[in-house]
Amino acid sequence: MSTGIANTVFVVAYVLIATEKIPKMVAALAGAGLVLAFGVVGSADAFYSHDTGIDWDVIFLLLGMMIIVGVLRRTGAFEYIAIWAAKRAKGSPLRIMILLVLITAVASAFLDNVTTVLLIAPVTLLVCDRLGINPIPFLIAEVLASNIGGAATLIGDPPNIIIASRAGLTFNDFLIHMTPIVAIELVVFTLVLPWLFRGSFAIDPERAAEVMELNEREAIQDTRLLVKCGAVLFVVLAAFVTHSVHHVDPSIVALLGAGVLVLISGSQPEHFLAGVEWETLLFFAGLFVMVGALVKTGVIGDLAELATDATGGNALLAVMLILFVSALLSGIIDNIPYVATMSPLVLDLSQSIANPVHAEALWWSLALGADFGGNMTAVGASANVVVLGIAARAGTPISFWEFTKKGAIVTVITIAVAAPYLWLRYFLLA
Amino acid sequence: MAEDFPVISAESDAWEAVTQLAEQRLPGLVVTDPAGKPLSILPTAQVVRILVPSYVQDDPSLAGVLSESMADRVADKLRGKKVQAFIPDDAPELAVVNDDDTIVEVAAVMARLRCPLAAVMRGEEMIGVITASRLLQLALTPPR
Repeated sequence: MSTGIANTVFVVAYVLIATEKIPKMVAALAGAGLVLAFGVVGSADAFYSHDTGIDWDVIFLLLGMMIIVGVLRRTGAFEYIAIWAAKRAKGSPLRIMILLVLITAVASAFLDNVTTVLLIAPVTLLVCDRLGINPIPFLIAEVLASNIGGAATLIGDPPNIIIASRAGLTFNDFLIHMTPIVAIELVVFTLVLPWLFRGSFAIDPERAAEVMELNEREAIQDTRLLVKCGAVLFVVLAAFVTHSVHHVDPSIVALLGAGVLVLISGSQPEHFLAGVEWETLLFFAGLFVMVGALVKTGVIGDLAELATDATGGNALLAVMLILFVSALLSGIIDNIPYVATMSPLVLDLSQSIANPVHAEALWWSLALGADFGGNMTAVGASANVVVLGIAARAGTPISFWEFTKKGAIVTVITIAVAAPYLWLRYFLLA
Repeated sequence: MAEDFPVISAESDAWEAVTQLAEQRLPGLVVTDPAGKPLSILPTAQVVRILVPSYVQDDPSLAGVLSESMADRVADKLRGKKVQAFIPDDAPELAVVNDDDTIVEVAAVMARLRCPLAAVMRGEEMIGVITASRLLQLALTPPR
């Protein structure tokens, strides 16, 4: 009966989350409440078990980074860099798009994707307003870049944080395995931009001169705060990279970094807590409890066995299946609950594969598929939805199909590049 | 308590409406439909907000980035537009009071709707407008 309850609660909650009939936090917490109320899992399972409970490493890593980013946002540094780059492009729309795309992608690797697009979108609207050109191609290109760039590091995208915690992967593992393929993807993406958004790059020399009049230095609100944020961020990233030396987990590093930044910056709670998305953190908590119920009742284990049978123990087939299925499903439903559900399943699968390189490839295919799949539709990732909202408020609405036409093409391209990468790196040349 | 107050049609030119607001230092304008029926209030604060580009509203740190010449042309977006274009889709409820309402009733409506002026109706006809400052004047005037 516990299995039936866990399954039913999970499916209903998942449908509610995917269709957004009710706020996803409410759906996740209600689902968690039900599995707890019916005794499918207990408090020990939900609060103290890494296998079946709330993954506190994920929650606190997110919390720490949200606080750091919340303080960093107030400095205006991002806006400075973006306007500086636009001026370097001398008002050429194509060069501006390429530079802003690259800035967005790199920023997304270290900040969450939603924050990155919240920072880049207003600057983009400003630059396009000055140039007198349609901002829609630029906004779409940037949000696609944020989803691609966010795949590069452990902290760049929430699915990566979940995968890292479940698989025991480190920040450096992501640098070694994900950053190279993301760099390749960005090169490919940049090369297709002129074709993908053809007709969007007409130059008006007079309007181009207006961009040169923008004063990026005025965007910096607090130079001292900027220096402090930069120092803390540098130390936090350095601590991530040197984890094998000091063995302090990323969640602790992030929390300590946030605490130090709050202390030295003198930020008030209403400022540094403004960047914390409590609803997102509670959503994660509820999700972990529901998925934990599926783990405890053996549902995940059974699915893993089915998957092993279906692939006949063929690791390459499993890797490709995970890549393509993840890309497809992540484009339709939120990639966070998808990865939270798939992670224990992939863990079981990976433990049935003898070759450790092949086993680890399963995780990279999950990360690549889930991260890149978010580009496929206008609702595939939170960053997409946020940009559509900003565009609508600015009087330049982006329709679902306008975004999806471009997003689907980019998803196909990125997955088409990722597939041979996975095969070459983890099978042919391993 | 109603007094004569500039009223403007939703189909009027926005530039002229805003010029009127600025020159007469008004807290807002009552906007009517072509038949003269009050439609909405266009508060001056709303017009000021319209002058701020959406990207600056989303990211206030961009306000200083614009050059002087760009800032000086910020009102250009009002040209060639009708007043209707600046009434938001989620326009606040129109503050409407009856000509026989007491000061407290009028104040309650203004406070609830956070509106600096209210259209005064006698039946179906608008007979004037009462502003927040006029209301205060009435409240502070000792009864005869």
